[in-house]
Amino acid sequence: MEESGKILLELCFGTTCFVMGASKLQEIEQYIPPQYKNKVEVKAHTCLDLCKNATYMKAPFVKLDGEIISEATVEKIIQAIERKING
Amino acid sequence: MPEKSFFVDIDCFQQKKHGQNTFGDCFKSKRFTDEGRLLAVLSDGLGSGIKANILATMTATMILKFIEEGKDILKATEVIMNSLPVCQVRKISYSTFSAFECSDEGEIKIVEEGNPDFIHLRNGVVLEHKPKIVTSKTFTNRHMHLYSFKLEPEDRLIFCSDGVTQSGMGTNEYKLGWRREGLIDFVEAELRRNPAISSRHLAQEIVKEAIRKEPEHQAKDDVSALVLYFRQPRKLLIFTGPPYRQDRDAEYSKIFDDFDGRKAIVGGTTANLIARELGREITTEKYNKGMLPACSHMDGVDLITEGILTLTKVLEYLNEGYDRWPDDAAGRLIELLLDSDVIDFMIGSKLNQAHYDPDLPLELEIRKNVVKQLEKILSGRYIKKVNLKFI
Repeated sequence: MEESGKILLELCFGTTCFVMGASKLQEIEQYIPPQYKNKVEVKAHTCLDLCKNATYMKAPFVKLDGEIISEATVEKIIQAIERKING
Repeated sequence: MPEKSFFVDIDCFQQKKHGQNTFGDCFKSKRFTDEGRLLAVLSDGLGSGIKANILATMTATMILKFIEEGKDILKATEVIMNSLPVCQVRKISYSTFSAFECSDEGEIKIVEEGNPDFIHLRNGVVLEHKPKIVTSKTFTNRHMHLYSFKLEPEDRLIFCSDGVTQSGMGTNEYKLGWRREGLIDFVEAELRRNPAISSRHLAQEIVKEAIRKEPEHQAKDDVSALVLYFRQPRKLLIFTGPPYRQDRDAEYSKIFDDFDGRKAIVGGTTANLIARELGREITTEKYNKGMLPACSHMDGVDLITEGILTLTKVLEYLNEGYDRWPDDAAGRLIELLLDSDVIDFMIGSKLNQAHYDPDLPLELEIRKNVVKQLEKILSGRYIKKVNLKFI
């Protein structure tokens, strides 16, 4: 969790993630339900360097408070945020 | 490159006559990096449209080829002057031209036939040169003006087609056109405002201003401006791709950091490794512009972009040749490339296996190949000095 108490969502804009669907994740902030909006901090990265390691499965990757989500989609990320907030 | 070496920055900007779909003026040039010399020709074909285009292209191409083959510029242009046909209706030459050969030391030979006289500016003052006149043996009304002198650092030369000096002709404000005097005043004012303006931008400004003189801003003739700027080279270093040997990351990052010129990183992994080695922070813009990943920022680096998708797009845009580059990472990289004279690429040879995953929705090009194609177009069409170093 960020110092601000927010959940940190990190997006990867590296080549592999971008072509595998991260281009669609840049608008993720619009899809975060209003009640969670001020609880999530979104940060973009040049590359999270995860695609080079086969153990992490498939791109696109995002990190939610450091936890790696592979084959990330808007729905998958929103569900993970809900789980994190609601425990 | 020796310490005192200067760079001949040239560029040409053109606008077609309104309503035509092809240029009636032709600009051709070639830089011989090894010999340290540059050739350029601007030719204006009689009339406009396809006919003018063919005449101008033929003239410019032939002059360039002759000189390239080792003929002296005077001999080459004399052959052309003597052999260019005369229009049966108008009794004037089918095309006019300005040609020059310039060395990296600033020795320049200029030949003009029929185009407006070039303008030489030094420290904000116009220098007039007395030409040596050579008259054609076959057509006594044809004369070539020859000039030979040495450029000083920061000198500028402006060549143009008569579409520039005659712009606005017949209007109340410019009865006789913008004329050479008007063009000189404009260029002097531009240089006072922006003393370091690149040849590319100055040529664009001249053509745009000439068209503003025309009624309804519609060019009545083909309008071309060719600008030469003799100056300290603007250097750019592009670091793209991680080095083959990881134990040399630190060494190459230091070379990058110490580079005396502008710097760009093209590749996310590359940016991360340089940030790690130099102990700096990267921030990435959250929103992409166009279809490419967003740019990032780091202290001491002029531009950071994603790698292969951006490079491929840069190549595509350069091949297409836009008047205005799209506002995305590739467009920003092109601005940097075209504003530089000497471009060094450091190309890391390490491959990212994930780029070869058959499940990827599109096939990614191999970095090395894209950079080689970029080198070709940057040094050919855009007259840059390009050095590649594979690491």
